[in-house]
Amino acid sequence: MHIDPLEKKWLYIAFGMVGLFLGAIFISALVSGIHPPSNVETIDSARLHLSEEFAEDNLGVRIQPDGTVRVTMVAGRYGFFPRHITLPADTPITFRWASIDVLHGVHMPMTNMSTMVVPGYVAEVTTQFPKPGDYPMLCNEYCGTGHDFMWSKVTVVDKQTWARRHAKTEGDPS
Amino acid sequence: MMRLTLALLTITGLAHGAPATQVAWTPETQELVKSGDPGRGEKLAATCAGCHGERGVSANSAFPSLAGQLPTYLYRQLHDYKDGSRVNPLMQNFTSALSDQDMADLAAWYSRQPPPENSKAADPSQFEDILRLVRQGDSKRIIPPCRVCHGKQGQGEQIDTPRIAGQSATYLEQTLKAYHDGERHNDIYGRMRLIAEQLTSEEIRQLARYYATLQP
Ligand code: HEC
Ligand code: HEC
Ligand SMILES: [Cu+2]
Repeated sequence: MHIDPLEKKWLYIAFGMVGLFLGAIFISALVSGIHPPSNVETIDSARLHLSEEFAEDNLGVRIQPDGTVRVTMVAGRYGFFPRHITLPADTPITFRWASIDVLHGVHMPMTNMSTMVVPGYVAEVTTQFPKPGDYPMLCNEYCGTGHDFMWSKVTVVDKQTWARRHAKTEGDPS
Repeated sequence: MMRLTLALLTITGLAHGAPATQVAWTPETQELVKSGDPGRGEKLAATCAGCHGERGVSANSAFPSLAGQLPTYLYRQLHDYKDGSRVNPLMQNFTSALSDQDMADLAAWYSRQPPPENSKAADPSQFEDILRLVRQGDSKRIIPPCRVCHGKQGQGEQIDTPRIAGQSATYLEQTLKAYHDGERHNDIYGRMRLIAEQLTSEEIRQLARYYATLQP
């Protein structure tokens, strides 16, 4: 089969581009640690507020016995609950998410905290925040007319301050 | 101080543990509400007419109108009054003997009645200030616009976001204040409380007046 040299050149360029893009995706995935949905755990979204873990009063930030921090949150049109959380920097933090209605996405810009929240499932992501500061938490899956208004606040403070000021009040709701 | 706070929390029913509402929109509950019998509902509604009006349009502004309201919303409120998730002595009294089927029937009847009609045409210019909250919300306070949830005309949305257009201003103001103070807390995850607790009394007054004059 005869292939024109010019055609060949273009083929090489096209394959080269595909390789480059795939490489970029894999490298960025490995370097910045994206979280492909990996936690398969079902939950009844209609009865979420009656469940133990996602009951209104059990939401928020808690210290686990092993020193890691667990955050339980709910996404629903149009907000994340609780509205505002304060987290320690440089600490492994496990987020557990559930939706009360439709598909939502959670994303904190400038960090690698990002996941889809599928109704009927619990989404789980573990990450760390190296830099203290105020971060928005945005919904990045279109969920209805109020989607643009669906966001809340996360404050990351350094470990010591957090342990002194927030660990007690937010860590143990009882 | 701690003890005082705890005492206050207990009094207002905020002490933790109880979910906002016991109703969950499982397929069975949705089916129950859908199957409501308006004929039976009309008979049951005879006891309610004194306060909520002959056909669900209340003559007294302290009593909310029920006509044209979403049946799911009506059902859930009745359930919430009965089990104490929403606290009101009058309504707790009137719901204590109702079965789940009675509530579905009442909801079916009231939701099929024509919503309250507005006699006085409102002058839109008087609401210019408050329309910002209705249409754009306030990103500083994380308040989404009222209409993304309650609908462009305040007609309400699935599953149980209520119709507020045409409701009496007195009732709207009173119930928004109740959310604001946490006295009313049967909205799951505080969807309405988180908004109302940030509104000023003046904003609440204006919003109530605006929605009362909005023609559904
Ligand atoms: C004595 C007067 C009275 C009677 C009789 C009465 N209600 Fe009510 N109803 C009220 C008042 C006052 C409120 C508002 C209470 C509050 O703020 O929670 C109310 C609220 C409601 C609501 C909530 C409305 C909303 O928009 O959230 C529903 C639903 C309702 N009533 C249904 C009924 C039904 C059904 C009956 C008959 C079985 C009935 N009521 C009988 C006084 C009455
Ligand atoms: C995130 C969605 C959302 C937004 C935004 C929202 N609401 Fe609501 N609202 C609800 C839901 C859900 C309920 C029913 C909650 C319950 O069961 O108590 C409700 C209930 C109400 C009620 C009670 C109605 C009744 O009959 O008792 C009023 C009044 C009200 N909202 C007014 C407003 C106003 C005014 C705004 C704008 C400042 C607003 N809402 C914004 C979701 C929303
Ligand atoms: Cu969303």
